[in-house]
This record gives sequence, structure tokens and C-alpha cells, in this order.
Amino acid sequence: MNFTCIIALIVLTFGQLPDAKLYEVDKGSVYFRSDAPLELIEASSTELKGLINAEERTFAFSVPMSSFEGFNSPLQRVHFNENYMESKQYPNATFSGKIIENIDFTKDGLYTVRAKGRLNVHGVKRERIIRSELQVEEGQIEVRADFTVLLAEHDISIPKIVHQKIAEEIAVEIRAVFLPKMP
Amino acid sequence: MYKISLIFTLLTTAAFLKAQVPSFELQPMPEQYQEVKPTVLFQAGNRYIWVGTEQGLFRFDGLDYQPFLMPDSICNNKVTAIGEIGDRLWVGYEDGCIFFQAKAKFQLWQIEEGLPNVPITGFGQGANGLIWVATYGEGLYYHNGRHLYNINTDDGLPGDDIYTIHVDPEGDAWVGTDGGLSRCKVRAEQKQITTIGKAEGMPDEIVRVVIPAGEAGLFWVGTHSGGLALCNAAKGEVSVPFEYWPYAPINAMVSYQNQELWIGTDGDGLLRYTFRDSLLTHLQNPSFENGRILDLLKDAEGNLWNIQQFRGISKANRKFEQVLQKLPDIQAVLESRDGALWVGCQSGLFRYDFSAHQFEKILPENTLSLCESPGGQLYAGTFGQGLYVLTSETRQPLHLTAKDGLSNGSILDITGSGSTIWLATLGGVNSFQEAPFGERPVITPRFDEQSALGTNFTYTVFPDSHGRIWFGTDGEGLSVLEDGKLHNYNTIDGIDIQAVYSITEDKQGHIWFSTAREGVFEYDGARFRHLTLREGIRDLAITSLITAPDGNIVIVHPSGVDLLNPLTRHIIYYDEGIGVKGLEPNLNAVAAGSGRSVWLGMENRVLRYTALEEPLSIHPQTLITNVSVFLEPVDYPFVSTFNHNQNNLVFEFTGLWYADPKAVRYRYKLDGFDLDWISTRDQQAIYSNLPPGTYTFKVVSTENDTYSDEPVVAYAFTIHPPYWQRWWFILLALAGLFLLLVSWIRQRDRRQQRIARLEKEKVQSQFEALKSQINPHFLFNSFNTLAAIIEESPGEAVQYVDKLSDFYRSILQYREQAVINLSEELSLVRDYGYLLKYRYGENLEIEYKVPDADRYAVVPFALQLLVENAVKHNVISSTRKLRILIEISRKKIIVANNVQPKFTKESSTSFGLESLRQRYEMLGAPTLQIASDGHSFRVELPLLDITADLQKNGFSTWIF
Repeated sequence: MNFTCIIALIVLTFGQLPDAKLYEVDKGSVYFRSDAPLELIEASSTELKGLINAEERTFAFSVPMSSFEGFNSPLQRVHFNENYMESKQYPNATFSGKIIENIDFTKDGLYTVRAKGRLNVHGVKRERIIRSELQVEEGQIEVRADFTVLLAEHDISIPKIVHQKIAEEIAVEIRAVFLPKMP
Repeated sequence: MYKISLIFTLLTTAAFLKAQVPSFELQPMPEQYQEVKPTVLFQAGNRYIWVGTEQGLFRFDGLDYQPFLMPDSICNNKVTAIGEIGDRLWVGYEDGCIFFQAKAKFQLWQIEEGLPNVPITGFGQGANGLIWVATYGEGLYYHNGRHLYNINTDDGLPGDDIYTIHVDPEGDAWVGTDGGLSRCKVRAEQKQITTIGKAEGMPDEIVRVVIPAGEAGLFWVGTHSGGLALCNAAKGEVSVPFEYWPYAPINAMVSYQNQELWIGTDGDGLLRYTFRDSLLTHLQNPSFENGRILDLLKDAEGNLWNIQQFRGISKANRKFEQVLQKLPDIQAVLESRDGALWVGCQSGLFRYDFSAHQFEKILPENTLSLCESPGGQLYAGTFGQGLYVLTSETRQPLHLTAKDGLSNGSILDITGSGSTIWLATLGGVNSFQEAPFGERPVITPRFDEQSALGTNFTYTVFPDSHGRIWFGTDGEGLSVLEDGKLHNYNTIDGIDIQAVYSITEDKQGHIWFSTAREGVFEYDGARFRHLTLREGIRDLAITSLITAPDGNIVIVHPSGVDLLNPLTRHIIYYDEGIGVKGLEPNLNAVAAGSGRSVWLGMENRVLRYTALEEPLSIHPQTLITNVSVFLEPVDYPFVSTFNHNQNNLVFEFTGLWYADPKAVRYRYKLDGFDLDWISTRDQQAIYSNLPPGTYTFKVVSTENDTYSDEPVVAYAFTIHPPYWQRWWFILLALAGLFLLLVSWIRQRDRRQQRIARLEKEKVQSQFEALKSQINPHFLFNSFNTLAAIIEESPGEAVQYVDKLSDFYRSILQYREQAVINLSEELSLVRDYGYLLKYRYGENLEIEYKVPDADRYAVVPFALQLLVENAVKHNVISSTRKLRILIEISRKKIIVANNVQPKFTKESSTSFGLESLRQRYEMLGAPTLQIASDGHSFRVELPLLDITADLQKNGFSTWIF
């Protein structure tokens, strides 16, 4: 299921509810780091898109794989997209699901919540629980989430020869500011 | 209609069972924890009982509660769940915190996904290292070693509030929620949930307790308002034993295999469901609060634990129950086939009245013995009043006396063997064939003091499974009737056994009997074995023996009740824990009961022993709890080697025996140090100054002071010797010492050789010097010179002769010494120079540039020899003057002269310079240096520092 479908679904399902409160990513970034013995690779994307339905505590995030920039060389970026992530075939990484904790989005404060959902990377969906911090302030929500992705769990195979250069476990950091979605 | 009849049965039968309960004993928390509210009980694999409270976690060893409190900053310490995964304890809290035991400490479970925010309600261990965590509010979690996953209503779980979790042998979790019982499994990372709810026959949707029901796939389910259900998971079937459930919601359950289910309710106290008769009993007990039972636990010994909301933790020995109503002086007990309990007392024969909860008097006579024949007739033997025959239904007894053939009116024991009834009376043994009820049988006297029995006083008669009839007598021991012949044993292996009170047969067909003073004997058909205090028999005043359905022999005596395993001879003692210590039981007031039980009459109360079916622990669990070195705990049992200075060890241990924790005693032995076992009540053993070596610390605990078959817990460790006692070091040291010795010997050798050579050189040089000084040429020249001046200037001649004699005296004086002062040498050279100057006049110039001559020393005649050499090898004439310079330069003394060789070479042995060089070498000094460039000839001699003690060493510090 790609991102537009999810959004469409969420909008369809909850959009009809009169008091469904939707938040949309205003500014969002995804950063990842592969800390291997021989090489540190970092890249980030600012093209994170996302929606939160405060009523239903559901959410959806999506980021295009080809939007990641950084890396240690342009060739590395090409490898990332062509060899490992197969970005043409699987253009987006997505995470969608429901927040376990029942929090009040109308009340300002710092909340630690756990988002339970399906993480789709490289076309492989894995259920995950991701702990995140939500800072609710004057109607805007700031989201910070740090988690790890195991390459093997998403069928991303690393040739033996570059094993020392790419970590098995990739650290991911999400930063996003949500604003109420205008109808 | 069915319902009503069930209620009726419940109401009527419950009354009987109400009267017999295990006695619950409170296990109070110590004073400082009075406010602590226990909520959860758990027994770990090592048999420690853990108590979760609203104020934190405690460990209970039967006597003391030890707190394990987590930091307040992390956790609110309200324990809601305790479980064991692997061999680690896991503890869940009301705020969602999860701690697990790592070695001796607890540590927070730290995972990337974070911990739940709602109460933890249970743990379980799934397949392949999966960990199940149940919560109240967030559903079920599982951790597969990498990530935490959640199963909640979004995944198909009927509710997010989980009350209970049970993990089946396949590793799947069975959870009870507000929507029924759900089986959750994870296969190929796919969640599969199947639910058994009201639609499938569950009496109530809210499932609060689930425990396994013996067979695989069978579960007992406790619900909120529908009571109990038996769930067959494979078939998806649910059966409900009680359609009508008037009691409060079920909070906890434990089951005793094939016997019964204990149910703790949320307001109606404790219920007991016995499988044999399908009866549900509401437990009423003065020691019991009729309110909330928060948790139940069956421990490894079979004890039943519970937490009552206000009274806290209490414990009962499930094996023993008491009939609460007391009677005076119980002499006989019997459970008739209809399930009624009969008790013979001094004041008469009583039958337990179901409806009135009390004993009903049947006969007023002093009743000594009771027996029910296979034909259903009850026989009551009295003291002096003969025999009464009655049935359960008829209260009109038939009275048999001497008229019917009875040889004495006092009947101590009655036993049926087929249709023959045997009577043990104070007038010998009688028997008769049972007659239909109402007809008077003919009683025949069989054996008395005239027979091999030897006495009229018979205490007991016991027919065994081999067709033999055994008799216990007063004063004449044991007799047996076999193949029509009576044989008597009154002494066995030289022991006069006197009175035999009680006889029983174990499951192997061995006969066991107790004597008045000599303890217990076992007879295997060929031989007798004697068991007395040494074998663990606690009290020799044994009143009754009876074989229980589990094969154990129950021994009754004033100190309590012992259980003897006839195969292993293992004995377990029970006394205070079951409330029977110090009672005076009467002879043979015991009887077999229904439901794997045995009735024991103990003075004024009736006790029921139930042989539990499950495998139970019969030993205290011995644990080494801590090992410390100089009071510093070590990581036991992972550390097992110590340094030589870590030799002060303290071992702490405990023996867990919850049935009677105070009775536990220990003995320990340090193999490699102690020669014998050391018995103690303390829970520690201290060893100081252990010498290096290999040791094994062994400890055993016992609850009955016998250590015959108690398991030994051992801890092997090594104290290493210090490095200077290790073989490699000793070897190395020896090798080093050897090398040192060798080099010293060599050096000494060399030195001695050198000294010897020096001595030789010296002698030779002296010889050469003398030879050269007494060179006739020199002497001839000197005398010629003297002859020339003696007339011209007699004064100078005298001076010349003085110098000559000075010179020769110096030679004689210094020749013995290894070195001489430079100034002495110089004065010698000056004398020599004076003599030479007289001969050569202005043609020979000797210049001295020697300051501080006193500071240095040289080899004697070294300079003289060099001056002599210069004069000897060079032309000295007015046109070719010889100039000799003696000076100190760079801590060396230099003798230099210009070279003008003679045409005719002086005969030379070349000995002079060579000897000088060798003497310096002997002294270990730098070698002398000779430089000649055709124009000048110079010899550099090293100087000795005078400050060193030359005479002592013969060596000195050379200035380089």
C-alpha cells in the first residue's frame, strides 16, 4: 500500500467524521546513520510527509527513498538507490498504524507515546512499535522518534565485500512538525 | 429442575466438608512492613517464594521477608505480576515497569520500543526465546529478542485488558480478557488469535483466571460472574460444572492433580471443588476472612498459600486437614462406605451429623474399636461391654457378649478378612463368621495364653495380603497365623520386643509393626529390619501405623505424625505446622478413608491425611545464597578461583522447607579442609586463612535431623598458591640462582687467575727491574761517572752515591707493591734522572709537568721503565739531544720523547713494555696506549685513583 492510498484511506475513513482532527506534516525530516566498522554513512531527507488523526490516534508517514541526500560520495547514493533500496521498484518507505497511548492532542505538553504500526521499507512490511516524543504546543505537534532498522528484516542484502562498510542495524531519526490540516 | 437439585446437593453436602479444612496459618510480615499489602504470590524454580506487594517485592524463606525495592525514580513499586523466564525472575509493576533478575540484582528491562504504561498482569516464556508480557490496558506484548510487538484489539484480541496469561507447552499464550479466552500465537511472524467466548459456551465473557487442567489442551477457566468452566481447546468445547454461580468473581485458582481445585474469589473467600464427588464447598473457617482472596499458590511441597485482602498471607499444609469439632479421648475412627465418619470415644460411639455440623451419639458405651465388614455391617468393640453390631441405616444395634462366645468383654481391635471377623480382646483372639444382620453369629475363642500367643492381652489383629493373620500382644510380642499354625516372635535379633501395638503392610507386601519401646520393625517374609531413633524414628511411643494410599506409612505418636517411605526409608515429620504437637493419641485410632485419605484420631481431634497425587518435593531445598571473600560478595557460582590472599571465605546458605521452616537444620563440610561434617542451625559457615588448594564446599539441609538421602549442594573452588609457590616460579628462581652461582664462580675464578698472573708478572718485572738496574753496563757507567767526579768534586760524588743508593733502596722498597703513589714513582724517576744526567749532561732533558701527583697511583717502575727505554733506544749527543716529557693530561700520565734511533740496536727482550701492558691489564685497567710517528714516541698510562682501597682489593676505580 503506498502512501497516497493510506492517506486516501485515512481521509476517507475519518474525513467524514465531523470532528475528526487531522494534523499534517509541515516540516519533516528523516535522517539515518549506518555506523559500520570501516565507514560511517549518513543521509537525510526533508521530504517526509505524514498525517495524524487525533481522534482515532491513527497516523501515516511516508518518505521517498530517492530524496535522501548526504552519503560519502555520489556513487554511494546511486548504489543506495539502485542496489540496496531498489528505489525504482519501492519508491517510498512508510510507517502507518495507531498510537497505543491515549493522549489528549488538545492539551499542551510533552508526551512519550508508542506508535504501533507497519514499517514498510524495501517493500517488506514489518510490524513495529516505535517510541516517540510528542510536544504539543498551541495546536502544533512536534514529533521526535529514534529507532533502528535491521537490514535483514527488510530483505536488504549486503554483498559480503562491503560488509565492513555497511551496518546491520541502521539508526533512524525522525523530526517533524505537524500543523492542523486545513479542510 | 437440574439447577435446583444441584443447589440442594450443594447445600447439604457442603456442610460436611465445611467441617474439615487444612489449617491456615498466617505468615505475618515483620513489624516494619506492617503497612505492606501483599497482592501476588509466586514460587520460583529454586523454590523461593516471592511476594509482590503494593509497596514492593519481597522474598520469603518461610521465616523472613527480604525486600527487593526498585528505585522510586523509575518505578512505583506496586507489584502486579511475577513470572519466571528461563531461570530469571521477571517482575511487572502497576506503572508498566518491568524488572528482571540478573545474578543477585534486579535490572530494568530496557528495550528500544519502551515499556508499557499500564499495569503488567503476567509473563510467559514462548518458543524460541519469545517473551510474553500481558498488560491491563494495552493488550499482549511479545519480544522475540530483537523487537517488541503488540497484540491488541486492532489485531483481533477481544479486549485490551488482560487479566490472566498461561503459556502452553507449545509456547502459545492463553489470555483472559473481557471478551473471553484467546489463544495467541506467532507463526512466521504472523499473529494468530482464536477466541473462545460466550458464543462457544463460556459462562461469562470476562475471563479472569486460566490454569491448565492436567491434560494437554484442557484448561480451568475462572470468570467474572459465570463461575467456573472447563475448556477443551482442541475441540473448542466448554463445559460448565456449575450453571448456577452465587459467588463473587474468581480471582485465582490452583489445582491439585486429579483431586481438587481451590478457587479464590473477590468477596466470597475460598472455594474448594473436589473432582471425586463434584462438590463445591465454600470454606468457612474462623481463621479465615470471608472476603477477597487476592492470590493463591501451590508450592513444590504441596502447601496451599493464599493472600487475603486484610489478613495477608497464610499457608496451609494441604496434606492434613482437621475436623474442627473436638471430642474427648478418641480411641477409634472409621469412614463407612457411605462416606460417614464414625468415632469411638470413652464417652461412646459418635457419628458425624452432616446437617447439624456435629457428632451424634450412637452408643453410650466406651468404644475402643471399630470395623466395617465387606458385607456392610459395622462392628463396635467396647471396653468391658462386648461387641455391638449395627449398620449405617439401622440404629438398633445387636449386642454380643460372653453368652455369644466372646472370651472377654473388652475388644481392642476388630478386623474383617473375607467373611471372617477377627477380634483382639483382653481374653485372647476370637473369630466368627459374619451372619446376616439381625442374626447372632457364633463367636469362637481362637488363641489365648495357653496357645503359642502366650498371653490373653491382644492389642491388634491384622490380616495381610498373603492370607496370614498377624497378632500384636502385650508382653509376648508378635504372633502370626500361617497355614493353620500359630508362630510367635517375642525376641527378634536378641531384642525382647514385648508389646506390639500396631501392624500394617506396605505395597510390597512387607509387614511393619510398632512396639512399645523398641521402635518399628519391618518383616520382608524372611528377615526383620529394625528402625529406631537412629534411622529417624522420632518418638518410640508409637501408637499407630497405617499405610496411606501413596504407599507411605503414617506413624502416629505424641510428638506428631511422621511419613515413612518404606522404599527409601525417608521420613518427613509433621507437628506444629498441622497443630498436633504434644497430643496423646490412643492406640490404633486410625482408619483408611475415601479419596486417597487416611483418618487419624489424635487425642481429641480427628485428622485427615490426603495422599496428594502430584510429585511433591520431600526434601528441603538447599541453596547456597552467597559466597563472600573478606565480607565482599563474589559472583557465585560463576567465580571459582581465588588468589592466595583471598582466603577468608563465608558461605551463606538456606534450606527452604515451607511445611516447617523452623525445623530446618544444616550440616556442611569443606572437602579438602574439614575431616567431618559440621552440624549447625546457622545459615553460614566461615573459613579464615584457608591455605591454597582445591576445595568443595558441601551443604545439606534437613527437616528431620537425618541426612541419609538429602541432596547435597556443592561448590567447588580453588585458592591459588601465591606466585612464589607456583612450580614455574620455583623453577625460574632455581634456574636464576644457578646462573648467578655459575657466573659468580666464573668471576671468582677469573679474578683469582688474574691475581695469580699479576703476582707472576710482578715477580718477573721485579726480576727484570733488578736485572736491568744491576745491568753491569749501567753499574759500570755509574761507577765511571763516580770515578770521574770523586776527585774533582768529592761533595757531588757523595751526593751521587746517595742518589744511587736512594734509587736502589726505592727499587727494593716498592717491588712488593701492586701500585705505588705517583709522587713516589716520580721521586724514583728523579733519582734515576739525576744519575742519567750526570752521565749525559745537557744532552738529556727530562721535564716534569705533574701537578697533584699525590692523588694518583701507578704501577711501580712504570715511568722509570719508560725513561730507561727512551735512553736505551735513542742516540743522546750534544747535537741530538733527547728530550723526555712526563706530564698528566686528561687523567693520564704520558711519557713522551723524541725519536732518534741508534744505528746499532740495543739488544732488547721487549719485555719492558709488554710486562707493563700486562700488569695494567691484570689490574682491570684500561690498557696503555703507545703512539709513535717516527718523530716522537709517547706512552699513555692510565692513572689509578688513590681514594680506593688498593691494598684490600688489589683493584681500583680507574679514571677513564
